[in-house]
Amino acid sequence: MTATGLPPDLLAMMERGVSVIAGSRDAAMRPSIMRALGSKVEDGGHTVTIFVSRRQSRQLVQDIAATGHVAVVFSEPSSHRTVQVKARRAVLRNAEAADEPVLARYLTSMEHEIQQVGFAPRLTRAMLAHKLEDLVAITFEPEVAFDQTPGPRAGTRLFGSSA
Amino acid sequence: MNATALGDIRPCLEGAIPAVMATCAADGMPNVAYISQVYYADERHVALSFQFFNKTRQNILANPRATVLVIHPQTAAYYRLHIRYLRTETEGPLFEGMKAQLAGIASHTGMQGVFRLLGSDVYEVERIEALEGEPLPGPPPRSGMLTAVRRCSERLARCASLDEALNAVLATLSDFMGVQHAMVLMLDSAAQRLYTVASCGYATSGVGSEVGMGQGVIGVAAREKTPVRITHMTNAYLYSQAMRSSFEANVPDLEAVTEIPYPGLAEPRSQLAVPVLSAGRLLGVLFAESPNDLQFGFEDEDMLVAMAGHLGAAIDLMQASTESPEAAAPAERPPAAAGAPLHVRHFAANDSVFLDDGYLIKGVAGAILWKLLKDFVRHGRTEFSNRELRLDTSIRLPDVTDNLEARLVLLRRRLAEHGPNLRIEKTGRGRFRLVVLRPVVLDETP
Repeated sequence: MTATGLPPDLLAMMERGVSVIAGSRDAAMRPSIMRALGSKVEDGGHTVTIFVSRRQSRQLVQDIAATGHVAVVFSEPSSHRTVQVKARRAVLRNAEAADEPVLARYLTSMEHEIQQVGFAPRLTRAMLAHKLEDLVAITFEPEVAFDQTPGPRAGTRLFGSSA
Repeated sequence: MNATALGDIRPCLEGAIPAVMATCAADGMPNVAYISQVYYADERHVALSFQFFNKTRQNILANPRATVLVIHPQTAAYYRLHIRYLRTETEGPLFEGMKAQLAGIASHTGMQGVFRLLGSDVYEVERIEALEGEPLPGPPPRSGMLTAVRRCSERLARCASLDEALNAVLATLSDFMGVQHAMVLMLDSAAQRLYTVASCGYATSGVGSEVGMGQGVIGVAAREKTPVRITHMTNAYLYSQAMRSSFEANVPDLEAVTEIPYPGLAEPRSQLAVPVLSAGRLLGVLFAESPNDLQFGFEDEDMLVAMAGHLGAAIDLMQASTESPEAAAPAERPPAAAGAPLHVRHFAANDSVFLDDGYLIKGVAGAILWKLLKDFVRHGRTEFSNRELRLDTSIRLPDVTDNLEARLVLLRRRLAEHGPNLRIEKTGRGRFRLVVLRPVVLDETP
């Protein structure tokens, strides 16, 4: 186990850059969702930052700003290894030039990941296409994590106690 | 811009790239999960595969609102579906259609044994958002599908017999849709089995081979009266013929001997079976398959359903018209039978007929042939009508809806595959002639 309680292989997968999907909800409990276009996992998993496009994610960004609630799934396409982390105090900021290397590294990793399941890098580039000035960075400390790899262990709590 | 309709995003609903779904628990905590299948149920509903008792499941039962993100597998355009949970189906057409698609997805993604459909969660689609982005240019729209439907319709409209109609459908599939392997099976409603009446592209025609209701994609399509489509090789639906053995050495095991081998591909990678219906009744199944993955998309399914509809209507019309035969054509003098006698053996137990010890046919078609041969031997008759067969109690046609014409097509084709000495020739609407080129000796076994 690592400092956060994430198994080392799952933490390494998150750090490397795999598919990232973020969700939140509004005051009426209506869920919102979008694919992130970049991610950065630091401090052994204590600090997670994901990037979403504002024009693609207006509701999600608004919901996180209003409620602080966020659920984020990291999944490796070729193996279906999946982990979900959740937090109730996510913070938002605009992306900046200093984020560009993180985004570039993420794109490279994802081109490789998605090519392994049979899709050409140009599809991945279209999936992750963005303008830096449109990106919002969402940063949070995971309070709870679940193994969500399909199979008998799916849903197992990896750490944390809140829902 | 016009609102995006569910029909516009069907390429996103083929399972090529998994969808993701957000739900929200009663305590306000959101949840995100991958969904193997977002299935097009109709223009206002999708069905999601319920495979595991998980957080998503808990959440939608407590709070029916969900949001799903799908992606176009060629352009990478995103669409968000705002949906509301209605109900879960655990059997029936929708469930079986999804189960087949999921089997293919599981196979393609190496998740056999893990992906198992527990239920089809039906959701109403309240709104679809087409997201901004930088999608790739889409593939050119597939052309020629409407032309293929037109040609099939024209060909069927010209047909005067079931034989021609079956050929017209199979020819359209190969001429316009690139389908290399296809067959048509008809329902034996009494036995609740399907028998092959026509096929193309196989080493043997397999005419007369049988598939049970619920067996393989053909049997499931028939049982549920719904299209069943598999886009990736899967073992889940492989048709296997049960091995049978003889328990009695001195009499032929009629079950084993009378098994005509199923002609289908040993390792199909794409399969599509659609029911042939008329007035809500199942008449049979139109089936196509391929040794390649991803051969049949939703457009192929739409196309086959349209063709099967035309075929169903044509079959019913022909059935009606052949029951009231036109006036008999003047009988031609039949050629004199000559040569060594042809031994015809009939087993009353299952109406199986053997020609010189070679198995020919059983069931209703066997009973028909036996009646014709008895009339030929006793009375020298060679001209017959569908109507008299229908009225003959010895044939035991299951009921008035049974397709007599299909039985005759089956018998005619089996005889043709057996050689020239015993044939049936159509002589007009609802009329036919028995042609016997060798003397026949009949042998009845009760």
